[in-house]
Amino acid sequence: MAMLIYAVLQTKPGSGNLNTIPEDIKGIREELVYAVPFKEITAVVGNINETNVIPDKLDVIAYAGVIEKLLQKYTLLPMRFGSKMESNEAIKNMLENNYTEFQKNLQKVENKVEFGLKIFCDAEKLKQDLLKKSEVKEVSPPHKSIESKNSVFTDYINKKLKEHRYEEMLLRYVETVITEITDCLSSLSTDSRFTKMTSAKQLIDSVFLLEKEKDPLLIENIQTLQKKHPGLNFILTGPWPPYSFVELTLK
Amino acid sequence: MNNNVIDQSKDITILELLDRVLNKGVILTGDIVISVADIDLVYLGVKLLLSSVETMDQLKSGTKKAE
Repeated sequence: MAMLIYAVLQTKPGSGNLNTIPEDIKGIREELVYAVPFKEITAVVGNINETNVIPDKLDVIAYAGVIEKLLQKYTLLPMRFGSKMESNEAIKNMLENNYTEFQKNLQKVENKVEFGLKIFCDAEKLKQDLLKKSEVKEVSPPHKSIESKNSVFTDYINKKLKEHRYEEMLLRYVETVITEITDCLSSLSTDSRFTKMTSAKQLIDSVFLLEKEKDPLLIENIQTLQKKHPGLNFILTGPWPPYSFVELTLK
Repeated sequence: MNNNVIDQSKDITILELLDRVLNKGVILTGDIVISVADIDLVYLGVKLLLSSVETMDQLKSGTKKAE
């Protein structure tokens, strides 16, 4: 038997330790979840029998469900699925040893949620559009008399040059879109992360941290950007617990 | 392209959820990740998502049916 840790919560100053978890919150496979408090932070944990458990998608979804329910009442740091310790005592020691870091991260995400924005494109169409705009000039052979000899070489150089220019143009285009997003959300988002060109079709993978009540404004702004870029496909998801804004690796 | 940025697709939501729960959040180092048949679950998660993220665009645009 081990203890599966779902999240670490912040309990408000003056309210003391949180000793019980609301009854409507059940863990994976309907197991009970309970609190392991230390000062003003609390780990929410559940028992898990490792020999019987082969984690599957439903377990992961149930695990996330516990964190979602807790988020409605508390500021929290979600734990990565599969985080377990051997005993309540070990968990309490872990909270004590990392107390300052937990508090620092909890303050950063207090009353905030995460949104994810992925931007996809039709790679071939975007390539054609960008190349058309650039009017790439191909390299001319140095002399007519050696044109035939060098035609294969010249074609190769032209092809490589075109590819290189396209990659530069694509990068500039992606950076322009990121700047537009950043400008548009500067008054809403307190933190953000961007990953460029994760695949040929996925131009941008980004996450934003913002206050809970600012959801409608974010949605409105992203809709405006989508209309401005009809050739791109914007996928916005959220609100999520602040999974992407936790910077904490425990030892 | 679809102008509805707020996605209501259950499949996309599950992909995004799996990405977060399996790959993000507070990390405990050491021998603490539950494994399946000696394969690191986190690795399984990443592998699953690498193939899934490419289908996300298709799921939204309706060119691929959810399995």
